[in-house]
Amino acid sequence: MEKVGIVGFNQVKLYSDANYGRYEMIFEAVRGAIDKAGLKKKDITTVISCTNDYYDGRTISNCWTVEVGGGYLADESKCEMDGAHAVLYGLMRILSGNHKLAVIWGGSMPSCYPYHSARLYETDPTWERPLGYVNDITAGGFQMRAYMEKFGVSKEEIARIAVKNRKNAAKNPLALAESQNANITVQDVLNSDVYSDPVTELMVAQPCDGVAALLLAPERQALKITDNPVWITGVGYSQDTYYLGERDLSVSKSMEIASKTALNAAGIKNPKNEIDVAELFEAYAHEELIFTEALGLAEKGKAASFNSEINGELAINPSGGAIGGNPPCATGLIRIIEAAKQLRGEANGYQVKGAKKAIASGQIGMCAQNNILFVLEGNV
Amino acid sequence: MGRQVAIVSAGFSEHASKRSDVSMPELVNEAIMDCLKKVPSVDPNKDIDAFVNGNMPAFEGANIPELWMTDWMGARNKPLMRVTTGGTTGGTVAIAGYYNVTAGLPGIDTVLAIAFEQQSQGDTATGLASVAYGEISILNTLGISYETLGRLLSAGAAIGVAAYQATNYMSKARITEEDLARVVVHNRRMAAKNWWAHLRMPNLTIEEVLDTPYVQYPLRYGMLCPASDGACAMLFTTEEKAKDMCDIPVYVNGVASVANETAVLGYDGSGSAQVDPSAQIGAMRSSELAYAQAGISFPRKEIDYAEVYSPFPNQELMWLEKLGLFEETTAPQMYENGTIALDGDLPVNCSGGVNSTNAIGASAMERPAVAAQQIMGTADNQVKKTVHTSIGHGWGGSLNLCTLMVMSDEPQRKWR
Repeated sequence: MEKVGIVGFNQVKLYSDANYGRYEMIFEAVRGAIDKAGLKKKDITTVISCTNDYYDGRTISNCWTVEVGGGYLADESKCEMDGAHAVLYGLMRILSGNHKLAVIWGGSMPSCYPYHSARLYETDPTWERPLGYVNDITAGGFQMRAYMEKFGVSKEEIARIAVKNRKNAAKNPLALAESQNANITVQDVLNSDVYSDPVTELMVAQPCDGVAALLLAPERQALKITDNPVWITGVGYSQDTYYLGERDLSVSKSMEIASKTALNAAGIKNPKNEIDVAELFEAYAHEELIFTEALGLAEKGKAASFNSEINGELAINPSGGAIGGNPPCATGLIRIIEAAKQLRGEANGYQVKGAKKAIASGQIGMCAQNNILFVLEGNV
Repeated sequence: MGRQVAIVSAGFSEHASKRSDVSMPELVNEAIMDCLKKVPSVDPNKDIDAFVNGNMPAFEGANIPELWMTDWMGARNKPLMRVTTGGTTGGTVAIAGYYNVTAGLPGIDTVLAIAFEQQSQGDTATGLASVAYGEISILNTLGISYETLGRLLSAGAAIGVAAYQATNYMSKARITEEDLARVVVHNRRMAAKNWWAHLRMPNLTIEEVLDTPYVQYPLRYGMLCPASDGACAMLFTTEEKAKDMCDIPVYVNGVASVANETAVLGYDGSGSAQVDPSAQIGAMRSSELAYAQAGISFPRKEIDYAEVYSPFPNQELMWLEKLGLFEETTAPQMYENGTIALDGDLPVNCSGGVNSTNAIGASAMERPAVAAQQIMGTADNQVKKTVHTSIGHGWGGSLNLCTLMVMSDEPQRKWR
């Protein structure tokens, strides 16, 4: 795979109720990314957006975002998954040689719609939706229970991940204010409201308003645009089956396949030693542990004892991860942006020292049915 | 640089207003099976490396339906990407299939692209109403009351905007309703020879079309596309692998999907409005991009067959001009003198087009699919002349987004 450069990015501050227009938010993100990279509208050759008709409450939700997203008379398309999948499509378009600058943006405003109700429309309409018993929250509960039972992991160990991510989020000025808490304890997490036993409120990546944008360019152009591009050197993605009963929820098979493809492409044999920082889209605290194991960073069931603090063995989610703010359609994109920030040494307050290689993931579906993993390298 | 991409097969499900005999996943599966049965050397488990999928989710009431359809597509533990852009969804899916192959990501050579719609599961007009509006809050701020908005809604959905477009085009080209009816007759008669088409009327006449009531001037009931249930699948692969899979691989030589400004009604939060909805700068720009990639300088001479996306007859005339196949305002004459007929110089929409079959999410993919089949010589309504180069076009959004795929029996490098 040829190298593709991330030449710019921008993310708006995450709010639980942003109270300003969706289009203004998109404009702020995209225009900011282009301005920061010192480029102009006419330089854009392709735009990939990531929105969801159900989340935005309108059919063809990318229809009215043409102008604000920089898509006017540019070759544009929409990926209706996670923002990270939109980056994948942008990457493909750059690799095709047809395009020299791709804008990828994604985001949503859950303050305007009931997020979990919209997610219910993802379920099988014949057998599961009428009962409403299987939904994104209860699925999180099943998954956590399966993981705890199979490997004998305690609630406290999982709560510790939520504590770590919320403390990290406190250092990230763009994170969701409600998630930032420098003094949170394991007891606070366990004592918060039960979402779906054993998942409690503070273990959940809360949906919030936000938009993020990223710019991609081929190697040659990337070096002209910026002095410190971040290179995408590997990518892998995979879709698991839908029915929860047919899956082993204590592991993530799709992440295992995705990471194998991505790490192979980047020529990484031993991720634990070679990767310096990981930004993972964990919809729930326990998913971070499951992914850590799927990535081969820890043995099955042992991720809880893996030191993933900012100055630990391998920093996972130094920005606070999805628990630090989860704007639907943008979360995976923000993970890539945060990983790129680490590689450029721009993560003020939560910088991992000497970060050279990073991984970032995105997901969609219940219990992370479809996972995507990117391998990023700094410009050395 | 990207790799050369080839289409090796295309498949369709049966189309009808109510396919209540199948569920959505089964409908999708039907098209996939039809696509794969034409390439017997392909083992679906081993040889298909990735999937691209899309529909208009608002119509069926299922968000990201690929999640629960995974096993009906055979996508378990394989890469899957979902793209959707409204009416152009099918074209977007086909283009994404092309990009999946051309990018050369590790392990991805053969890609199955699937687009579908089962409109009988929901209410299409309701789903479309929210497209015609701008932001309701902004319209309110401008002093437009809910009552007026209600009237705009009735002018909304697809027919409202298409009627504006039709009158604009008619006044420019100085044509009558009879010219529109002639386009409809061509499409429905062609559809009669196409097994998967929805409205098949081998003996339809212009008088019969003009005898139906107006839905919105100048568009009559008999001129409108049906609402269908259906699916379409296409198999994309690399040049090398394509040669082993089928006799005549169809090379994808140019793709583009371009959006013009969104606003149609003249006031909106997001733009200054297209003054003339039949101007279609987006279509012109997409043809510019795609023809340049394919090395086509004289579209009228170099293109042998065209499938354009025209739920309404005026659009078929308009697209043929905007895509550079005919001079401005001359398309209606081409229908009169038979240039676009099955045995004509430049046959158009010999599948019956969107005017006869419209499973919205799938429609824009059926265009390149049929255009590819015409090159392979396997189309149900095969044209008389040999087709070397063909185009498949898609339209969507609020009159503003166009997709285009240029295909040929020779690879791109030969002409660039």
